[in-house]
Amino acid sequence: MIMFVIRRIASMLAVLLALTIALFTLQELSGVDPARAYVGANASAEALERTRVQLGLDQPAIVRYFDYLGGLLHGDLQNSLRTRTPVADGLSTAFPATIELALWALGLALVLGSIFAVLTVVRWKGAGVVRVVLLSGASAPTFLLTMLGLLFFYGQLGLLPSGGRSSYGSTSPGPTGLFVLDGLLAGRVDVATDAIWHLILPAACVAISPAVAIGRVLVDGLRINLVSDHARTARAAGMPEGLVMLRHAVRNSLGATLSMIGIQAGLLLGGLVVVEKIVSWPGVGSYLDKSVQASDFPGIAGVALLLGVTYVVLNTLVDLLQVAADRRIALS
Amino acid sequence: MSSPVPVVEVEDLRVTLRRGQAEVEAVRGVSLTVGRGEIVGIVGESGSGKSVLGLSLMALLPAAARPVVTGRIRILGTDMVGTTATADRLVRKKHIGAVFQDPMTSLDPTMTIGNQLAEVTSNRREVVRLLTDVGIADPETRLGAFPHQLSGGLRQRVMIALSLARNPSLIIADEPTTALDVTVQAQILQLLLDLRESRGCSVVFVTHDLGVAAQICDRIAVMYQGRIVESGDVDTVLGRPEHDYTKGLLASRIDLTTPRDRPILSAHGAGSGDALPAVWPAVVPGAPAVTIADARRTFSTGPFWKRRQLEAVRGVTLEIGQGESMALVGESGCGKSTLLRLVAGLDTPTSGSVTVAGDTGPQMIFQDAGSSLTPWLTVGELLGERLSAAVPGIRKPEADRRIAETLERVGLPAEVSRVKGASLSGGQRQRVAIARAVIVPPTVLLCDEPTSALDVSLAATVLNLLGRLRRELGMSVLFVTHDLAAARIIADRIAVMNHGRIVELGDAETVCASPTNDYTAALLSAIPGRELRQSHAAEHGDHSEERRA
Repeated sequence: MIMFVIRRIASMLAVLLALTIALFTLQELSGVDPARAYVGANASAEALERTRVQLGLDQPAIVRYFDYLGGLLHGDLQNSLRTRTPVADGLSTAFPATIELALWALGLALVLGSIFAVLTVVRWKGAGVVRVVLLSGASAPTFLLTMLGLLFFYGQLGLLPSGGRSSYGSTSPGPTGLFVLDGLLAGRVDVATDAIWHLILPAACVAISPAVAIGRVLVDGLRINLVSDHARTARAAGMPEGLVMLRHAVRNSLGATLSMIGIQAGLLLGGLVVVEKIVSWPGVGSYLDKSVQASDFPGIAGVALLLGVTYVVLNTLVDLLQVAADRRIALS
Repeated sequence: MSSPVPVVEVEDLRVTLRRGQAEVEAVRGVSLTVGRGEIVGIVGESGSGKSVLGLSLMALLPAAARPVVTGRIRILGTDMVGTTATADRLVRKKHIGAVFQDPMTSLDPTMTIGNQLAEVTSNRREVVRLLTDVGIADPETRLGAFPHQLSGGLRQRVMIALSLARNPSLIIADEPTTALDVTVQAQILQLLLDLRESRGCSVVFVTHDLGVAAQICDRIAVMYQGRIVESGDVDTVLGRPEHDYTKGLLASRIDLTTPRDRPILSAHGAGSGDALPAVWPAVVPGAPAVTIADARRTFSTGPFWKRRQLEAVRGVTLEIGQGESMALVGESGCGKSTLLRLVAGLDTPTSGSVTVAGDTGPQMIFQDAGSSLTPWLTVGELLGERLSAAVPGIRKPEADRRIAETLERVGLPAEVSRVKGASLSGGQRQRVAIARAVIVPPTVLLCDEPTSALDVSLAATVLNLLGRLRRELGMSVLFVTHDLAAARIIADRIAVMNHGRIVELGDAETVCASPTNDYTAALLSAIPGRELRQSHAAEHGDHSEERRA
């Protein structure tokens, strides 16, 4: 068991290392000269050379890679060519914004998916309606769904805000950078509820498609396990149907469902980048958008690294949860 | 052992189940009483309604089949028909324990056995006591084990411990030993007898195996087409059967006294469609068809830094002559299936050699004929596929002629070629599998437990069919089985395998009558139903005399 956790974490670190190598190589191949970009097109050859030495660009690639890696370990994501400030500073507010939205979206996807699955399996009469609503939501592209949602709930009804993250400015009242959590921690319920109002629309739009995918896998698992021999054993022992579902059906369905959650979480992160732009969410998607327009390679690499790390950590977490649900995995 | 309130009272029970579009009356008016401490066997073949009856007693019929139950079931005086699901559940909880056929799937694969037992008991000490009661050594260390880490026998012991947890008055055991090796089966039957002795609980024992029933039951009810056709004291029913169906069951049962020189008698027409000779013509083995010379097969398991070697086959030398039938007998894990795969050419030996003579490669028949038939192909297409693979460029009329001829040969009507495997019965499917294997007669026919999933009467007809086909087509047969009685019938010689080696090899009759190896002797003595065998032998003697007369 412990060996399994150690192995998983070791392989996670190996993947992350490979990611840094890939990003560094891409940066090398991109043809952008950071020194030129730094000093501007009109600077003298002398000034360019000085900056080059100053930035360590005269060193061989391998040395510069380890400098880069060393910097990463200290939270240094290089300087942005666009803002001339550390990329890490720019992302320090953008990343929590994205994470907060992603967590809400994922949470919502899990809740919707589970409700969908359980209603379907217990043959509740309205399950068909729920399925139609979710399926039609999932078949529309996320960005379109978000725009339509915005037009309706903001434009027509004036119920939800037009976009942004908070009506209370861009600084979070607490340490985590997650508005809802920080608002509650600081006793500012108004800030927390306001943040929730801002979160609802984008989170729901991003959540629908993963909810259907996760729900379907869970339905299949529950169906198979509810008629399985071990469920029959539990029933024969006089266990109530609710417990049979919870202990013997849900648990045995978790493996495949967790795999799907991992896949969907990755897709969800990618989808957020677009949705952030539509609802003016000050997250890494918006940051990436600006960086791309300015050909700011360190900015782009910083976002790629951050999203990559999130994705890898998430998948490691899914693996570990899978083992917790079915310990046979660690034994084989 | 009598008591004012019987443990089970069933009166005119009728159960209708929905299968696909059709409604099937699975149980048609059954009445049955089980007294305290009594072991009652419900014996019958698949489709007889015996398992449905067992599940009805627990009100556990699958909801998807929309069961309609009428009549009366009382467990210790409490009604189980027309009651609420909750009431039924409480009766199960208080009074009933259940043991099912396959302990691997009947235990939750993701839960340790300790946790599964903890669901039905109060505390850890009780869990340990239960495991001790069912004869599990060192129970403390087993608590953290998952079902897949235990052997089949241990798993079934855990299942029994689970059923005993709430100290039930009634245990319903549905084919509890069918999935087990014969020596393990003997242990589990003994355990059930011991538990009846120590706890005084009643057992309803559902089985298709008359030998097992004879060994454990006080009374037997024989079921056929949803009815109990005969019931009574075990010695009476099996010793002096009155109903034709019971007589047929007994006649098609194979044991160590069944005559080998002729087809097995099946009294209720199970052999119809097969033209069988009165006595098998003798087979004189020809030149070696299969030569196995010091074959070894070693598997590597585990990660590379702690690689372990698993020796499945440890130096086997064996020769099968042309036309000869050889049975390979052993228990799970003895390496018999690995050896069969080597002969089939599905695997190569780590060292040594396996040579098969002839141009047509060996053909194989598997235990589960249903899953070995491609579900979307018709029988005709399946056979045609094999034919065109072996005879490239064969023309359609010629192919159709050979398909019809082969179907006739295996005792199937020609119309079968237009249907798919799923719409055939288990016995018909096994015949189709055999037809596919012999449509181009192979030098060697490999059989992997082809009869162990079949009812006794079907198993008898398959053995008869194989006996006829191998003589007609001059095929060598390698027959892998755990069942010595079946091996003795089908084979000229028997090779007994244990731990990857052949421990005894000889003439089939000699091996069964006077084994020289301890392991062979243990296998022989574990075959259930010895009392039955004696009375049955007397009956058989009569039969033989009638025939000779």
